[in-house]
Amino acid sequence: MIKSREQDIIDSFSSLTDRVVGNMDVLELTAELAQDCARLLDVAAAGLLLADAGGVLHLLAATSEEARNLELFMLQRDEGPCLDCYHTGEAVNVADLSTQTARWPRFTAAAADQGFASVHAIPMLLRGDTLGALGLFGTTPGALGETDLALAQGLAHVASIAIVQSTTRADRDEVLPALQAAITSRAVVETAKGVLAHIHGITMQEAFTALRDTARKYNRQLADIAREVIANAPPTSRQLGKSSPASPGPKNVP
Amino acid sequence: MAEGWDVVRDGLTAAVGGSGTARAVAKQLCLACVDLLGMQGAGLWLVTGDSTGHSLSRCGVVTASLEWSQFSAGKGPCWEAVETASFVTAPDLTGADSARWPAFTAAAAAGGVRAVFAMPVTVAGVPMGALYLCRSRPGRLTGPAQSGAFLAGELAALPLLDLIAETRSVAVGSPPSTRSDIGWLTRSEVYQAVGMITAQLGVHPAEAMLRLRGHAFAHDLTVSQVAFQIIERQLQLDDDGTGTDGWHDLDGWPESGGGL
Repeated sequence: MIKSREQDIIDSFSSLTDRVVGNMDVLELTAELAQDCARLLDVAAAGLLLADAGGVLHLLAATSEEARNLELFMLQRDEGPCLDCYHTGEAVNVADLSTQTARWPRFTAAAADQGFASVHAIPMLLRGDTLGALGLFGTTPGALGETDLALAQGLAHVASIAIVQSTTRADRDEVLPALQAAITSRAVVETAKGVLAHIHGITMQEAFTALRDTARKYNRQLADIAREVIANAPPTSRQLGKSSPASPGPKNVP
Repeated sequence: MAEGWDVVRDGLTAAVGGSGTARAVAKQLCLACVDLLGMQGAGLWLVTGDSTGHSLSRCGVVTASLEWSQFSAGKGPCWEAVETASFVTAPDLTGADSARWPAFTAAAAAGGVRAVFAMPVTVAGVPMGALYLCRSRPGRLTGPAQSGAFLAGELAALPLLDLIAETRSVAVGSPPSTRSDIGWLTRSEVYQAVGMITAQLGVHPAEAMLRLRGHAFAHDLTVSQVAFQIIERQLQLDDDGTGTDGWHDLDGWPESGGGL
């Protein structure tokens, strides 16, 4: 039986909030959240961008792990709807990207190259601060309805709460270490994807899946598994400072 | 002293934007941290392969004996920042934080240091060292000072990489970088390519990053363009044998620059 959309939405929120209150891994939760966004909002691609201390946007999670797909998010450090959304703290809705070539010349060209026609950027908010933005890409022109925008904002709120949940207070001073830690974790995961892609001749998507499955299997953080993969990269492992910890995990996944 | 965010950001970025050796740039960054973040001392160190630290620069109340208290005991705020890959904060060394690192805390007290903050300095997510800040009064790091500390931790990757490039210039080429632009260091495709080079050549991610930069410079491409060539399997960087032997043991790798 096919699940109703309403049931699907309830299931997604339920699964996400279970993870937030349980022992969750921010990277895994936000990766799942990106998939939920794409499916529930019927967009082709979704990704979360988080700002560092200097206000530079970093990719935290996306529906695709391939570098060419991530590039569209990276590009928005310089220009694009997610950057504008981050700066204003308000949603940026572009039903037809071809009308915005003067506003974001490089971004619109890159988006068109990849077959995207519409984009919506939703702020990740916490109290008075904007932490980053959720970007939603569609392959056909069209605006999201009010209900869908509200749903997108709800999902973005879950992401914000997940990232800062380890902190007791919720001002910028308190959450900044958590934001930086999430950004560093994502970097090490990207690097480990490269290690696995080379060793096993697999795609970046397959490499991410292998890391995630291993983290789940051993009930460990994705970033910890990633660090061990890098430390054990053949032919000679090169970890500065210390050897990798002797803890349950693979001697190189998959 | 509390500076506004714009002043802090511009000052820290300018500190790493000048020309000069890696050590000179590291010194400028440490001095800027003291000036702009209300600190009495700052230091930058690199972790080396034999589980010791290598001091790249220090200023103010950060003395050789304070650093030695971390090296010799094998623990302290810098070790913790590197091992956990996260921000370490000890806002009250004579109070709540006094028992964390006894040797370091004793040396800190002797130098009038009441609070210490350490940021891991990472390349492609892998910690290479730490930037640490010392203050003579206790208290949390807040506002522009905290944001500035994180920014300084990111910027510190540039002199660390330059130091390795200087000491291993035969192996990696020595392209001059636009030091104030840290953007190329923190892109998804660059991390992925660094991972691939790391696995292929069996080198540390920091050297993989330098090889990527060196190839981009030699071929007049951006680092991002070279990263995509590697990810898409159009390019493999050669283990060309020019001085790579030295990389098979990283112990004490950047020792040529004057040391402590």
